[in-house]
Amino acid sequence: MRRFETLDYTESGEVAQITLSRPRTDMRMVRELTAVCDHLEDDSPCKVAVFRGADGVFSEGIDFEDFRPDTPMDIHGFNKWEKLCVRIERLPKVTVAALDGVARGGGVQLALVCDARIATPRTTLQLDEVHKGFLPGMATFRLAKYVGIGNAKRLIMQCPVVDADEAAALGILDEVCDDLDAGIAATIAAFGPIHTVSVALARRLLNESFATPFENAIGNFLAAQHRAISQSAFLDTLDKAQRSDG
Amino acid sequence: MLANRPRILSVGTANPPERYTQEEVLAKYRMPNKMVRSLFKSGHIRTRHLMLPEPDEDGIPRETQGELLAKHRRGAMMMGSQAIERALEPMGLTTADIDYLAVISSTGFMLPGLTAMFIKHLGFRVDCSRVDIVGMGCNAGLNGLNPVASWASANPGRTALMVCCEVNSALYVYDEEIGNGVVNSLFGDGCAAVVVRADPEDERHFAPRILGFVSHIIPDTWDAMHYDWRDSHGKFAFNLARDVPYVLGTHAETPVTALLDRFGLKRRHISHWLVHSGGKKVIDAIKYTVGITEHDVRHTVGVLRDYGNLGSGSFLFSYQRLVAEGKVRRGDYGVMMTMGPGSTVETALIRW
Repeated sequence: MRRFETLDYTESGEVAQITLSRPRTDMRMVRELTAVCDHLEDDSPCKVAVFRGADGVFSEGIDFEDFRPDTPMDIHGFNKWEKLCVRIERLPKVTVAALDGVARGGGVQLALVCDARIATPRTTLQLDEVHKGFLPGMATFRLAKYVGIGNAKRLIMQCPVVDADEAAALGILDEVCDDLDAGIAATIAAFGPIHTVSVALARRLLNESFATPFENAIGNFLAAQHRAISQSAFLDTLDKAQRSDG
Repeated sequence: MLANRPRILSVGTANPPERYTQEEVLAKYRMPNKMVRSLFKSGHIRTRHLMLPEPDEDGIPRETQGELLAKHRRGAMMMGSQAIERALEPMGLTTADIDYLAVISSTGFMLPGLTAMFIKHLGFRVDCSRVDIVGMGCNAGLNGLNPVASWASANPGRTALMVCCEVNSALYVYDEEIGNGVVNSLFGDGCAAVVVRADPEDERHFAPRILGFVSHIIPDTWDAMHYDWRDSHGKFAFNLARDVPYVLGTHAETPVTALLDRFGLKRRHISHWLVHSGGKKVIDAIKYTVGITEHDVRHTVGVLRDYGNLGSGSFLFSYQRLVAEGKVRRGDYGVMMTMGPGSTVETALIRW
């Protein structure tokens, strides 16, 4: 695995850890995170990917250094970011966002695409884009699924700073834990045993759940279930069940 | 080596003029079986182009096997001539410019075949090489494109034309059986013609190269889809086993992975998926096994909705919609994928 400038990447056993070493996300970090996704999809034996920050910052979101006020604005960079978020959302790994400190803008967006989100008590979350005159990406699509449309309107349009306990009460965070490393370990343990196919199928159906009419969703479910029950994990379950009955 | 790969230069399609909603087909004939009626109302298909006879006094469309075969011939001639003209005209070509003619069909047996009929009536040269591929079903468009592409590679600068001609309403058997209800509610009539040539001169056209094919047959399921003679009906009837869609879906991943591996590609490098519109369930199964999205199958779903299952040419209808959308860029990869009896999954990689 190559070295990165904007993040540290390590693998230990079944767990890959991506530590964002810069508080703000620029195009270089987007490119490097995309390369990490390539590696996780193509080569990594890990079953879990943990995203975390450094020095009291998970992520402060977009770095305006890439922008020049005197040149025409274009949407390309935002599109790259959204494509990256979708890649992470669909990674063939269990994904965990582990927050400690400031999570703002794109940092919150990144947490929302992960399968689990945990944080230390000092963590604060804020989607501050609308107050700065732009939009918090596809958090406009994802956030309401976690918190309901009323809370989503308040969080996105009023841009309040939300502390970890409130974020947990709203359903953005799964858990607040004093010791982040212990929290990560407990979260990963809770996912086990990880069957990558059934995890990926369940997550895809859930991600599609609010945006698919029931008539289509039931067809999707049956197709996904057929795939799941054709996998060795389910056949092993049947085998065990029959042996314990016998 | 890449320079010698043939290109898909143009696609033309045609359907019979008569177009029916599912409700209109139900209203046309007496179909008391509630299960059969519910198949028509599932909603994944809205309209189909069909060549349907008027009902008799009992409300039943009575057609002998002879009449069905005559309909196949009549429909193939009508749709084939239109699709061929629509494929050739934008290229400034006429039938006299075609050096190799391949016709794919599964909706009726003729001897001499459709290639001979087209040559007699449509102005092809008498020295046009030809091949008829008959009886391979919905997947056959890619089984045909494979040798057509090979011929084009072996004969650079010369022009091949493949015509997928399916008069599916010539397969219809009306009775109270669910099996025939499935067939009668699913298939539509349509024809697609495609111009293929390997010529460096064609670089100026925005047309994809055909890079390679991978086939996959599942011999254990050879009888999952079959068309055979029924003494009880005095005609041929088509049969689809219940689990076909999911079985095909489960196996679809194998050839797709093999195809991409051969070219060192991953799923994420494929911008466009041109999947046969076999039916709602098989499209769903492909999405969750190959790992592609609703967006990736938008044209597949749209062609199913507007035409039903058109058989071998269906994926070319999706291709035509993709090109018309105007979003394809130079360098984009596309995967073509057809499924059908055998049971089989056929795949091809193309690049613009």
